Amino acid sequence: MTPAITIQNLTKYYRQFKALDDVSFEVQPGEFFGFLGPNGAGKTTTINVLTGLANYQKGSVKVFGHDVFGDYRETRALIGLVPQEFNFDPFFSAEQILMFTGGYFGMPQSAAKTRAQELLKFFDLWGKREEGYKRLSGGMKRRLLIARALMHRPKVLILDEPTAGVDLELRYLLWAFLKQINIDGTTILLTTHYIEEAERLCNRIGVIHQGKIAAVDAKDALIRKMNADQVELYLKEKLFEIPEEIRGVPIALENEGKVLRFAETENTVPHVLRVLHQRGLEIERINVVRPTLEDAFRKLTQKK
Amino acid sequence: MKTMTGFKTLVRREVVRFLSVFSQTIFPPLVSSFLYIFIFGLSLGQRIEQVNGLPYLNFLIPGLIMMYVIEGSYANTSSSLFISRWANSIEEILVTPLSYVEMVAAILIGGLVRSAVAVTGVYLVSLLFTVTPITHPVVALFFFIFVSLTFSSIGMIVALVAEEFEHLSLVTTFLITPFVFFGGVFHSITMVPETLRWLTHFNPMFYMVNGLRYGMLGTADAPVFMSMSVIFGLFIVLFSVTVYLFRIGYKLRK
Repeated sequence: MTPAITIQNLTKYYRQFKALDDVSFEVQPGEFFGFLGPNGAGKTTTINVLTGLANYQKGSVKVFGHDVFGDYRETRALIGLVPQEFNFDPFFSAEQILMFTGGYFGMPQSAAKTRAQELLKFFDLWGKREEGYKRLSGGMKRRLLIARALMHRPKVLILDEPTAGVDLELRYLLWAFLKQINIDGTTILLTTHYIEEAERLCNRIGVIHQGKIAAVDAKDALIRKMNADQVELYLKEKLFEIPEEIRGVPIALENEGKVLRFAETENTVPHVLRVLHQRGLEIERINVVRPTLEDAFRKLTQKK
Repeated sequence: MKTMTGFKTLVRREVVRFLSVFSQTIFPPLVSSFLYIFIFGLSLGQRIEQVNGLPYLNFLIPGLIMMYVIEGSYANTSSSLFISRWANSIEEILVTPLSYVEMVAAILIGGLVRSAVAVTGVYLVSLLFTVTPITHPVVALFFFIFVSLTFSSIGMIVALVAEEFEHLSLVTTFLITPFVFFGGVFHSITMVPETLRWLTHFNPMFYMVNGLRYGMLGTADAPVFMSMSVIFGLFIVLFSVTVYLFRIGYKLRK
């Protein structure tokens, strides 16, 4: 199957500054791909290259097998972009903005009108359809950005920080909506600062750090690869020191000697349990702390 | 996907835009042309003898029309594109499947339509004073279309180069207006001292003004085919430059 997005060895300079350094990754059709990275890591630059808003110096960037440079008309028809910053046409109303966008993407006027009305109603902008975008609230502008990107029913939806500055209610609404259109077949690439957002929505994650890809993997695999589960053994009686036989494990004694904590790596659990059993120490309960995407993200983007 | 819908939509966008600010785009030429015709044509013109065998008022009107074609086309594309760059709304266009030629051509046609509206108005205003014939309509149309497209291209190029809004009017004040005036809107080359006449021939606006004057009055200071070649050549060069700038994304893509 042709990947929805293929980026190979992409390198981009802003004058002397290397904004993207040999970036490569793929997004498969139907995926919900989270593209994470600290501020200035290169997320928006990558998106700009994909959508025709930035030039690049080296590499190859394809959308469903079409080159974004050589076949720009094909690739742009496939993508819907929700940019980070508002970039609406200042002369027109919300409805006109949607209809013009539909037209640019080749929709006949009647079809564009029907679609625009459908989206205005869905995104609760119907009452404001005749207003210029400057008269809309922040949340409404966000919704209009998303509606605009969906006008031509793109196969690939790219969202650059869609929930920045959005209240909780709208955020939940957007999450449910994005999940639904992903289920319906739209490939989604999402950048976000809220790691929780990526954790809830995405099935694969790419992490970019200082212009380089730090990791690309299925979400669960990435989390497990970066951090092992933490095992906490609650003991019936206090320990005053860690038994000699398990000191090599990396293990910590916490809660005034009532909890032993260690990372679940190969053989650590049976080994620790055996030693405790041999010493006749009884265990009250066991707790396993699963690492989060945030833990993985922190580890991948630590300052070098 | 390869239909003309996208192109037509962008043309419509350009037209709806200038109509939505008609008090800045359509009214000024009507008012100022009325003043020019009244002051220069009627009041002062009566003291000027006939020019090339025609009343001065009739001589003046093609010049004025050409001036508004040039100014209107330039003003339309330069402000439309510069505002789009400034508001980043040019990105709305850049992410669409329109080809670069379509993007440029649609914006140029926006300039053409605006000057067509303005010039029709100016001609109607002039009818209050005198009837100026259109002797060779095809020639007149040729000059109207290609001069408009040429200055629409210049407007787009300036909009890309400019860093501030004032840069757009600097070009009008220091380049376009002087060249148009020296090009013979108000005077015939025969009124220029003989030692300076040769200079006029290096002014492209001279061919534009005289091309339209020939189209309307059937007589002009420059041979019409010479004028046609100059305008057409200029348009091809400037159109190619504009498309090239879009293709490389000059100040459009990061």
